[in-house]
Amino acid sequence: MNRLDGLPTCRIDSSRKIEFSWQNRRFTGVAGDTVATALYAGGVRIFSRSLKYHRPRGLYSLDGESSNTCVGIDGIPNVSAENTVLKEGMQVRAQNVMGTPRLDLMGFLDKLDWAMPAGFYYRTMHRPAAVWPIALKQVRKMAGLGKISPDFQMPGRFDEIYPTADVCVIGGGPAGLSAALAAAGTGLRVIVMESRPWLGGFFDFRVCEYRPGLPLYERAAELAAQVEKAANIQVFKNTAMVGAYSNNLITAFQKGEADDPFDERYIEVRAKSVVVATGCMERPLLFENNERPGVMQAACAHRLAHTYGLVAGQKAVFSIGHDLGIEAAIDLFDLGLEVSCVADIRKEGQDRELVEKLAERGIDFLPGWTAVDCSGKTVKSARLCNLDTYVQEQFECDLLVASAGMTPVTGPLCLAQAKMAYDAHTGYFLPRQLPARVHACGRLLGLNDAAAIEVSGQVAGYSATLDCGVSVEEGLRQAREKLDSLAGPAKGCDLVMAPVKGRKAFICFDEDTTVKNIKQTLAMGFDATELIKRFSAAGTGPAQGAIPGHNLALFVARYHGRSSAITQPTTVRDPLVPVHIATYAGAYHDMCKRTPMHDAQKTAGGIMQRIGVWKRARYFSSDTACTAEIENVRNNVGMLDATTLGKFRIWGPDAVKALQRVYISDMSKIREGRIKYSAMCNEDGCIIDDGVVVKRGENDYYFTTSTARAGQTVEWFRYHSRYDNWDFNMVNLTDAYGVINLAGPNARKVLEKLTEADITNSAFAYGGFCEFKIKNTIPVRAMRLGFVGELSFELHVPSSYMQSLWAMLEEAGRPFNIQPFGLEAQNVLRMEKGHLIIGSESEQRTTLNDVGLSFLWDRSKSKAGTVGAVALMHTEKQEGRLKLVGFKMDNAQRAPRDGSIVVDQNVCGHVCIARYSTTLKEVIGMALVKDHLAGEGAQLDIYEDECNGQLMHAHVVKMPFYDVKGERLSM
Amino acid sequence: MALTLTCPICGERNGYEFRYGGEDKGPRPRAEDPAPGHWCEYVHMSPCVAGIRKEWWYHKDGCGVWFTTERDTTTSLEVKQPEKTR
Repeated sequence: MNRLDGLPTCRIDSSRKIEFSWQNRRFTGVAGDTVATALYAGGVRIFSRSLKYHRPRGLYSLDGESSNTCVGIDGIPNVSAENTVLKEGMQVRAQNVMGTPRLDLMGFLDKLDWAMPAGFYYRTMHRPAAVWPIALKQVRKMAGLGKISPDFQMPGRFDEIYPTADVCVIGGGPAGLSAALAAAGTGLRVIVMESRPWLGGFFDFRVCEYRPGLPLYERAAELAAQVEKAANIQVFKNTAMVGAYSNNLITAFQKGEADDPFDERYIEVRAKSVVVATGCMERPLLFENNERPGVMQAACAHRLAHTYGLVAGQKAVFSIGHDLGIEAAIDLFDLGLEVSCVADIRKEGQDRELVEKLAERGIDFLPGWTAVDCSGKTVKSARLCNLDTYVQEQFECDLLVASAGMTPVTGPLCLAQAKMAYDAHTGYFLPRQLPARVHACGRLLGLNDAAAIEVSGQVAGYSATLDCGVSVEEGLRQAREKLDSLAGPAKGCDLVMAPVKGRKAFICFDEDTTVKNIKQTLAMGFDATELIKRFSAAGTGPAQGAIPGHNLALFVARYHGRSSAITQPTTVRDPLVPVHIATYAGAYHDMCKRTPMHDAQKTAGGIMQRIGVWKRARYFSSDTACTAEIENVRNNVGMLDATTLGKFRIWGPDAVKALQRVYISDMSKIREGRIKYSAMCNEDGCIIDDGVVVKRGENDYYFTTSTARAGQTVEWFRYHSRYDNWDFNMVNLTDAYGVINLAGPNARKVLEKLTEADITNSAFAYGGFCEFKIKNTIPVRAMRLGFVGELSFELHVPSSYMQSLWAMLEEAGRPFNIQPFGLEAQNVLRMEKGHLIIGSESEQRTTLNDVGLSFLWDRSKSKAGTVGAVALMHTEKQEGRLKLVGFKMDNAQRAPRDGSIVVDQNVCGHVCIARYSTTLKEVIGMALVKDHLAGEGAQLDIYEDECNGQLMHAHVVKMPFYDVKGERLSM
Repeated sequence: MALTLTCPICGERNGYEFRYGGEDKGPRPRAEDPAPGHWCEYVHMSPCVAGIRKEWWYHKDGCGVWFTTERDTTTSLEVKQPEKTR
């Protein structure tokens, strides 16, 4: 199809060709095309087949108001071709066709519409019950929209931004731009959102005069240029608003253009004031076969020519209800479209100038007429009817431009909780009550006069400015006066349906709902619009009720013989337009922390795994039992990167009070140079954390928490002292300090080579804390702990020194064959010692007493003043609690999986950890079991999925399993 | 998140930055040996009345302060600026 070149309103560049494919055939579009316009230019008239009846569907609108032009693009189903800019190499496919769009094997279903009344899916095929599962499958196969491959991976770059603004303007047409300029003129920060790729709205494609010598499209360009130039206006094009929430939170999503660093992005704007200037769309005219390919809205035909250089057909019939339709007929005639006649639903009230122009061109004008039917798979002829005499006349044509008039795009206002009401003069649903700090302007209010549309934008812009606390009362008053002097809302067309029965008059294209279906629904007693929507499915399709939205409400009101004034359109819900879930998900945000020794451990063969927020070395060989790592710690010396431990400093006059509040032990008795091991509980007495506290000076403490608690500990301390006004400071040193646990019988020999400090057992005994320097440089806070059950030094040093220290220890330990060990080795080592990890050997309901740490609880402390102590007291003697026990498997070869359940007649607990112990040559573990099984010697019957019904047996034994006297810790 | 809250240190900020800390139920009971029911009442129960509630909020992605503010639970809007100093 040849493009009209040289139209000043054109948005395409016909010299730049874009190749793509449609149904595996090569097509060529031009730069600036949408997928829909490129297909139309290539001669495609049938884009898809409809949901239920497999009726052919074509281009009807240009803003994605229906699923007619939903296609599959590059494997993504249900993409609106109208809203998708054409890109090189796109593979476009028709949806819901069996065969080709033109010859669809399921097309016969259209003749079977009598078998598919409203709600047939709910009502038929259910008796006998056995039929339904079979019928369901067949129905699903035949009906529906696009299909997605189950293993489809969404390509693309997704982003999100959260801008703030004083005024957010939704809609970049003349009213929105005027509002933005009015607000920005006072220095406020303004955001403008426009769903099309350019600003200008309804002015952008029209050539009639704004004022003598200045056509509307040039006026639109003027306004757009001013807005683009203003430094304090941020313009988001290709941006569809999808949601409005309290506090003026506006969400939208934007499609990226070629040079944008994203394909789609989610936008969340928080604005002090919001201006809605979304304008109008067309209200579909209801007549028989009103959705045949070749039937098209007036603005669609108009914009196809003026924006995309495409004259939509050879010979056209117009059946319209608004002056814009007459304007379109005149413009298209001038561009070479043969126009048989223009039927106007309105008997009178047309713009006289326009009617004269029709006469000048010799186009028949039929006021008081409307289309009632059309024939052909794509339109071949149209039948018109006089609304008074019912005289009918047939016209040959290949294009039927049909519209019942305009209707406001009220979605954004409805989402913002504006109250809408039917207005008899315009025939529109107009905002009657706007929420605070939300304003509406432009064609949305029924205005038709170009100047009035702009001035109403200024009024809204100034009103929004006032909301932001800027005084513009005078400007607002003047703008209001000016608006009053201009033409107000024009009288609208109130016809809902042409005089037809409506068997094939589609009120909703997406869901194939006819007027007949609505009548059936009404006859069954569904009287409220919301119920009719749900039963007939009208308005539940991908286009969110853009086509049936207002017609449905008006039709129902007429049916009941009620004034339309008391009817309401169905509720609008977010998102207003379909958004990919990938867009909501945004960019891949999963970020993890790496310790300073990450690379060194990787070089040493560490297998790094994500554990909590950290990447940590889990194993150092492919042996997941870690036998070599374990034996090296038990017999020689190993080192573990324990940097992920939570590390904190707390200081100030009331630091001890805060420690006393959250720790279960008496923290006032911490001696300098000694380590205090303790635990934290929540108010239910359940254990949430354990760690050590050391005193570094007067009212100055350093303490560690488990890795998982590092993020919440400051919050926890502050929460539990929130009423007390205590004077203390806390700082989270988790990332500032690293930790190496040097463990094994040769640990001291390695460390001695690096420091002159006295670290002999007498000077620095088990449970001790001392600070010294390594190589006279690196400051170390060293703790004698024994989590893995061997002589060990936990070395806390500033993160920047960690890498050096790691290398020094490796070097100093080489004569002893020092080896790094990973988390799994530590897990087995500490299990052999009966040491627990909170979260592994405890769960939500496990108290301090349950895990056998009740010795930590200082009962002489104030119970009311200690978090968890009261609950510990109450639950201490409670029966039926799960208790932590150690067990040995009867079969020394097979370890049950972690999480296997312990059973008798019922589930009595679960295995927390069980491993084959290289050291002890048997399978040991820990379990949380009901108290009647917690006694030493009790038999535990363990079930796991892999046990093939054969319960595994274990016996409860005393812990620790290894080095019962603890001699190895204190070597 | 549509909610905004006014942190006494950082000013009005996006609700995403805060963590809810429950209704303001007053300081911990001082009784050393409360009945289990009473303790449970304090720890777990809140009136949860629809309307304006005084609540604790934590500025987790900000300055780390716990503060109280009044929020209308029917609209999820803050109703009164919290006092500027604590």
